[in-house]
Amino acid sequence: MKDLATANFDKMTAAEFEEYLPELFAMGGGKISENPRFGTFFKANPTCAELVSDLETIAEQAKSLFEPIGDGNGLEPSEEVWSKIASKLKDPPPEGDGG
Amino acid sequence: MQTKPNPGFFKRNPPIAGEAEAIEKAKNGDAEAFSKLYALHKRRVYTLCLRMLGNVSEAEDMTQEAFLHLFRKLGSFRGESAFSTWLHRLTVNLVLMHLRKKGLNLVSLEETINPSEENAPKRDFGSRDTQLAGSVDRVTLERAVASLPPGYRMVFVLHDVEGFEHNEIATMLECSTGNSKSQLHKARLKLRELLRQPEKLQPVAGLQEAAR
Repeated sequence: MKDLATANFDKMTAAEFEEYLPELFAMGGGKISENPRFGTFFKANPTCAELVSDLETIAEQAKSLFEPIGDGNGLEPSEEVWSKIASKLKDPPPEGDGG
Repeated sequence: MQTKPNPGFFKRNPPIAGEAEAIEKAKNGDAEAFSKLYALHKRRVYTLCLRMLGNVSEAEDMTQEAFLHLFRKLGSFRGESAFSTWLHRLTVNLVLMHLRKKGLNLVSLEETINPSEENAPKRDFGSRDTQLAGSVDRVTLERAVASLPPGYRMVFVLHDVEGFEHNEIATMLECSTGNSKSQLHKARLKLRELLRQPEKLQPVAGLQEAAR
């Protein structure tokens, strides 16, 4: 991974910037697109600004997938799953089930 | 000694009304309390299995396995993290174990480290392309995620959907944190490509399309 502390983003090419992106996104601490440290770079490289904005949108929207959609929309296991679980709860645990 | 829960753990998984009581009763073998835990968490667990496996039948089997495992292991839950976080980690580990038993190269890491030309995200910094409209609807995103190569999909679901940290994912997938970060970035790049042409995305088996 690249060293973010010493990187000079103002003079970077788009390809060089891409190498820093995984680490930049992993850092957290707010949106990259709104970080003034990258303002000059994004002004000179609008395609990178669009890319970062899109990736931020994707990451943000992904959180909405965590909550299943409402009842009756087919996101539940079939009734049969609980029937099988309920019947097996009475069984002794399988051998070697140590964790 | 019981560890004091970290409030940060509960940001995405706030305690559910009645859950704590059901957990305590289920620990003592109360079947009705356990059925309540199943009712509270079955959809999330099933959806997680479905996203990881991409197959309704296998997802149901793993949901069953996850809750049976939960029943046997519930006594070891100490409340250091949100119950749903703990349950999801248990589920992920079972699914990964299932995939290993099937002889699959766990998250196809080789595939994503050296992806085929077809599956690798394209590098297109030099050209102006259509930017995403600023938001992506849920169904389209779900379809795009399902279209990802397995290795990308696994890391994306674990990090961006489930909220696991890179160090946790690295432990689960037996890879480095750098690898996890890199795979996640490639997954998002690939999703961007897929989302630019939503008309080409296929409906997802088992995931309802009525959620637009």
